[in-house]
Amino acid sequence: MSALRGYRILELAEGAAGEYCGKLLADFGAELIKIEKPDGSATRALGPFAGGVNADAQERSGLFAYLNTGKRSVTLDLASDAGRATLHQLLGRVDAVIDDHAPGWLASLGIAAQTLDQRWPALVACAITPYGQDVPDERRHAEDLNVLHASGWAFHTPSASDPQRPPLKGPGRFLPSYEAALDAALCVVAALYERETSKQGRFIDIAKQDVMASRVDYVLGQMIAGDMDVSSNRRAFDLFGPAGIFACRDGYAYIWMSAPLHWDALRQLLGDPEWMRSFPERWLERECTPERVAQCRHYIAEWLKGELKEDVAARAQKLGLTLVPVNDPSDLVDSPQYAFRHYFADVAHPVLGMARYPTVPYQLSATPARIGGAAPRLGAHTQAMLKELAP
Amino acid sequence: MTSNAPAARGGPLAGVRVLELTKVWAGPYAGKLFAFLGAEVIRVESLESLDVTRSFGVADLDKAPGFRAVNPQKLSVQIDMKKGEGIALILDLLQHCDVLIENLRPGAVKRLGLGYDAVKAVKPDIIYVSMGMWGSAGPLSYQTGYAPCFAALGGVSALVGYEDEAPAGMNVRYADSTYGTAAAYAAAVALLHRRRTGEGQFVDVSAVECMTSMIGDEVMDYTLTGRVPVSAGNRHPDMAPHGAYPCAEGEWISIAVASDAAWQALVTAMQQPALATQYPTLAARKAHEAEIERRLSEWTATHDASELVATLQQRGVAAAKSASSVDLVADAHLWTRGFYREVEDGGETRSIVGPSWTMTRAAEITHGAPKLGEHNDYVFGELLGLSPDKRRELADAGITR
Repeated sequence: MSALRGYRILELAEGAAGEYCGKLLADFGAELIKIEKPDGSATRALGPFAGGVNADAQERSGLFAYLNTGKRSVTLDLASDAGRATLHQLLGRVDAVIDDHAPGWLASLGIAAQTLDQRWPALVACAITPYGQDVPDERRHAEDLNVLHASGWAFHTPSASDPQRPPLKGPGRFLPSYEAALDAALCVVAALYERETSKQGRFIDIAKQDVMASRVDYVLGQMIAGDMDVSSNRRAFDLFGPAGIFACRDGYAYIWMSAPLHWDALRQLLGDPEWMRSFPERWLERECTPERVAQCRHYIAEWLKGELKEDVAARAQKLGLTLVPVNDPSDLVDSPQYAFRHYFADVAHPVLGMARYPTVPYQLSATPARIGGAAPRLGAHTQAMLKELAP
Repeated sequence: MTSNAPAARGGPLAGVRVLELTKVWAGPYAGKLFAFLGAEVIRVESLESLDVTRSFGVADLDKAPGFRAVNPQKLSVQIDMKKGEGIALILDLLQHCDVLIENLRPGAVKRLGLGYDAVKAVKPDIIYVSMGMWGSAGPLSYQTGYAPCFAALGGVSALVGYEDEAPAGMNVRYADSTYGTAAAYAAAVALLHRRRTGEGQFVDVSAVECMTSMIGDEVMDYTLTGRVPVSAGNRHPDMAPHGAYPCAEGEWISIAVASDAAWQALVTAMQQPALATQYPTLAARKAHEAEIERRLSEWTATHDASELVATLQQRGVAAAKSASSVDLVADAHLWTRGFYREVEDGGETRSIVGPSWTMTRAAEITHGAPKLGEHNDYVFGELLGLSPDKRRELADAGITR
């Protein structure tokens, strides 16, 4: 049996954060009941789209398909009294509820930290929002982009930023949402753990800004303690040295160099070239000047542009040089290591057809995570659920 | 006799004990999350193979800033892992633990005699969390790397960069903490399973896969449509404009327009209402995005970033200042929420980065990072019940310090 089997979780969320959190729980066998408004979750309207233009518009979203595997879909109009009454019935029968609407939305449905003990004493309620339930008025409007900027990550991305060019948003559309979903799922499971004996629920308030800022605790923790200088410099998070991304014949490679052993490995790999002899032996640690970094990067660039990324990485790794290919999704689908770990799973979706889905980054020997079926059609489980609730 | 045991702090994982055989950031981050949820987290440290963050940039091992930043609320025990008696002591200690987290180099725990089989033999229901760049087995599991390698291999770096240029990647600090969080979640799931069934297990976490999980929908784009996604600056398929725009004094503002109404509010603030009729829909704005961004940048460049955020927020436009490190430590909301908080640290008060959550009946967070071997008395005396003579013997032999 998988680890969360037997738990029933109500998902009110309709963003990437809450839906991904629900997915992380569903993958371990929890029963996820997804409440959707009559015209469907907001993520159903977001791409990538597939399945042909004649297909039902609400069932064409690859995003929704990815985030909602293994869930049941129940449509409910929470703006109506009847819809809210059904919701309250459901709340009495589930172990946890997950939401990612704006602060205060859950409270408007009667689920709030202050009153949870009286109204739903055994319920674990988790809300994910950009800045927390106590958001100040001047932050009320926020997308993931804004959160990434408020957390400091964007200002310092990329490393070695050019102050004249805009800070970068990070990969894809939803980095802060996915990150926050991890913290949310962790807290929900921890709360369920304690609830096994205490029978008590808990209100969990996850702020995406705090999630992202805590991801840089190694730096920010030093800054807040006064051990590291703060500044308006875009490079305040950086490590210095010749590390970076370089073009190869067939794409890009990332090279890391910080210690003499890396320098020695590079020398071996390049056959002790003339230019390396002009560098002091332990320059990476002791004499890492901007001029040497630029010079070193120049020679590395010249060398790597004639190499194949996989091939040069394999030779480098064998010598102890940390050089890796910069992979794109097609490389990942072809990765022998991902194949070995079965990182991708084939899922058949009634509209999108058969496709490879990324799974989760952990393997549990006794209770492996598994995709429990394709994402549900809108409202596919409404009738069954209403029947179950009928007196 | 007074107890050396740490005071009860409450929280959902109160009563859980975690042993860390970790280095640098990712493993310690996972342990920190457990400590913040109420678990007792013990770091085994060995002077003979010290974590570099213990000594980086300082002479005093108890004052290393990086170590202190990532290890608040933990306990530290000093055991020589290069000696057989030290390993035996760790195995004894594991009999009193629920979770082991390790992120040593590939194969290291097995060579030390602390692999899953060895630990399971003395503690059958242990939750053994193994963290490796590629996971613990497979054709590439021998490889090692640092955080930016995880991001490059896992597909994150390729998606961060300016349009039509080589990928630039996330800031070099990205990846370890995400990886640590995924490991902590998987370990918590395993703990819950053990509470319900009594069964322990092996949890095998891959740093590279953690990175791919942060771009899952981009990977789906490829597997569904065959398109290989690339970095596109700050552009977003569902919003326009969407980006970072220059303000006065070299500052930047982030603006994300997710609806036609927000667009109208923005152009009203810009006092350029004609733009609303010119580009009324997302499709129209996407088709003329460069022109829109140019006009937006001209306008933002003359304003103070914080004032502009306030103006746009009042009108319902999603906007935030791009926070520098000065802005971050001065962020009043982060202080109000208790994200930054003060703890006791060697008789002094120290500010730390707290958890990303608030919750009812949360664990108290009371202490900073431990001094090297600070909790030897508690661990050897109270947990293992070793006599003073035995402990002196171990100390004399250099097994403990």
